Amino acid sequence: MKKLLFASVAVAALAANAGFAASDLAGEQVTVFGPWLGADQENVEAVLAEFADQTGADVRYVGSDSFEQQIRVDAEAGSAPNIAVFPQPGLAADMARDGFLTPLASGTADWIRENYAAGQSWVDLGTYAGADGNDALYGFFYKIDVKSLVWYVPENFEDAGYEVPTSMEDLKALSDQIVADGSTPWCIGLGSGGATGWPATDWVEDMMLRTQPPSVYDQWVANEIPFNDPRVVAAIEEFGAFARNDAYVSGGAGAVASTDFRDSPKGLFSSPPQCYLHRQASFIPAFFPEGTAVGEDADFFYFPSYASKNLGNPVLGAGTVWAITDDSPGAQALIEYLQTPVAHEIWMARKGFLTPHKGVDTSVFGDPTLQKMNDILLNATTFRFDGSDLMPGGVGAGSFWTGMVDYAGGKSAQDVATEIQASWDALK
Amino acid sequence: MDNIAGTKSSLTWAVHISVALLVALWLFPTVGLLVSSFRTSDQIATSGWWKAAFPSEQNLIIRADGPELQVQEGDLYVIEGDLFEPGIEVTVSVYGVSSRAINSFVAGEMGGLTKGGDIIVSSGGHYRMTNTEPFTGSRGQRIFVTAITPPEFTLANYQNVLFDPDNREGMMKAFINTLTVTIPATIIPILVAAFAAYALAWMDFPGRALLVAAVVGLLVVPLQLALIPLLKFHNEIGIGKGYVGVWLAHTGFGLPLAIYLLRNYMVGLPRDIIENARVDGASEFQIFVKIILPLSFPALASFAIFQFLWTWNDLLVALVFLIDSTGDTTVMTKQIVELLGTRGGNWEILATSAFVSIAVPLAVFFSMQKYLVRGLLAGSVK
Repeated sequence: MKKLLFASVAVAALAANAGFAASDLAGEQVTVFGPWLGADQENVEAVLAEFADQTGADVRYVGSDSFEQQIRVDAEAGSAPNIAVFPQPGLAADMARDGFLTPLASGTADWIRENYAAGQSWVDLGTYAGADGNDALYGFFYKIDVKSLVWYVPENFEDAGYEVPTSMEDLKALSDQIVADGSTPWCIGLGSGGATGWPATDWVEDMMLRTQPPSVYDQWVANEIPFNDPRVVAAIEEFGAFARNDAYVSGGAGAVASTDFRDSPKGLFSSPPQCYLHRQASFIPAFFPEGTAVGEDADFFYFPSYASKNLGNPVLGAGTVWAITDDSPGAQALIEYLQTPVAHEIWMARKGFLTPHKGVDTSVFGDPTLQKMNDILLNATTFRFDGSDLMPGGVGAGSFWTGMVDYAGGKSAQDVATEIQASWDALK
Repeated sequence: MDNIAGTKSSLTWAVHISVALLVALWLFPTVGLLVSSFRTSDQIATSGWWKAAFPSEQNLIIRADGPELQVQEGDLYVIEGDLFEPGIEVTVSVYGVSSRAINSFVAGEMGGLTKGGDIIVSSGGHYRMTNTEPFTGSRGQRIFVTAITPPEFTLANYQNVLFDPDNREGMMKAFINTLTVTIPATIIPILVAAFAAYALAWMDFPGRALLVAAVVGLLVVPLQLALIPLLKFHNEIGIGKGYVGVWLAHTGFGLPLAIYLLRNYMVGLPRDIIENARVDGASEFQIFVKIILPLSFPALASFAIFQFLWTWNDLLVALVFLIDSTGDTTVMTKQIVELLGTRGGNWEILATSAFVSIAVPLAVFFSMQKYLVRGLLAGSVK
């Protein structure tokens, strides 16, 4: 089966190559530095190997778990790689402002508008002010994660006679039902070493999108409305309705902040189940117990929106953005290569890859669940990028995280939001 | 009576107990790490390592064979098999077939399946499902058992870290690279520091005391301050990222401690020997090579251990000065971090890698440990 998939990818590659002017880069070294390690590293290397085959370039990929710090050191000292893969657009924007990034070729923005679903939003997310203060497209999005997912074990649902909820009202009713049946509905864990608290920021962002129109979300992310605006506080309290409810959370509300996010989904699979529902992004199956078949042993549904609020089906996501940190013909060619469907299809045929590229052959997806996820992405009436990744580092990767830990620990939403706003003001 | 020389203090037992306690305290995390390195990630996630050595009562979910393996016996369709691998001593007490009722039946008694049919699970883990209709569905029945299972340990983590074809090559390369970094990064600072320490201890020149004070002052400068400027400097003079750069960096960061340690030791050497040698007409270089160096061996060895351990375990300096985006250069610490995966959840790999990478420093330490204490104390206690 796998061979067949790869074969079909290869055929697709031949067909797709018409668009990519495979320039001859024989012998030229193109270095790529990114955040992926382990299995993801093998995947990205497979994508880059195809580029090497087509152009003859010598492509090297190095991953690091401390990418954010290392790319800064390398750029400041002048030993940057050709291409850097940023997990957060906020960091790429900072680097562009400091003059470490090279704007992408002039036609790229038009290409994204035409070929990516919701193209303009991807262009906007990749456009930053450079060292000279002028806006330009610096970042190319490739590989997307969908965050608005709720994971569950279908057989446990079957045993208990539960149905997958299709609206937020149903989801809350289901949670109450599970409590009434003497079980615990949710597993929530915020622990993540130095990044403890980030899973809660995703909850709040999802709640923002489900209680307010996307324009309010955009204003919030840009700090055009303060963090302690009543609408934001209400969204934090929506999250609290789940996480601060002792009856709702496995281990009680006190365990939320101290449970590691990597361990929290394991409660779904214990006997008897410690919880029935777990809200987390598309990457989480990596932390399911060994041998768990996604789609059979565990499955997911879209984190539903309120039927009563008429805000459509908003989807929260994140993604990695590729940018040129040391310009060379090879780097330019690599960005051009990422615009060919084959660059997406190679990773699609493997694992954990979603793409907004409209021209790809979705039949090559490595497993059916990925296709289901991509459908969620394509059926979204609103797509918004993870807000904490767009906020300044001191907030989105700092006070927002710690504030959410405080909130889970019992502080009031109003106080927490006011403190986060104060830290944001201090950065201005 | 206690303070008479030659008699044992009656407080010896207190000393012994506190030493034993301190040793236990120090070893506690290490033992935990060692035990964890023989466990699977699921075991690590579900129970503490201190429970690993004992049989434990566990609630397990085990999937029976799927409907495609059913056989027909007369009127009955039967699926039969064992829940556990043969040879494992397991005692099942109760079992169930629904996640809502995991203990509805006692082992050895007949129970009913939710979709029709009967099931029986013996206390040894043998199960037999029967039904008058064929079993349907794509997957096997989930059987929830409460069982006492024997302790279980695995070598799979070591297998994975050391022999997995994907890792083996990288690990081997990283091992050689780490040696390439650590050996020169240990020898160069010792060479430089020994000369400097001799000069600062025994040669008279103006400003000597100030120089010593400056070296002591450098001890408190955090090396993180120097990372970007130093790398910039390396790039400008054309060294770039590479072995020469990382050797220089380690040498620079190690020198203050090395000079301080060796100077303090050399100052304590008997003045008579050195003056005798001077009277006999030995040059400063001859005194240094023939007298000071052999006498300072314990101090040199103790510093060598320090520097070796520090460079062996170093990740920060290697990341900044050695590892570039071509991927040709890597070190053990970096390789281990990579094994942890993008989101760093593989604790079992971390525990195992820690013990793999500790092997060389342990060998170095035990082969030279008699110098360690002597070299450290010799500088401070007269």
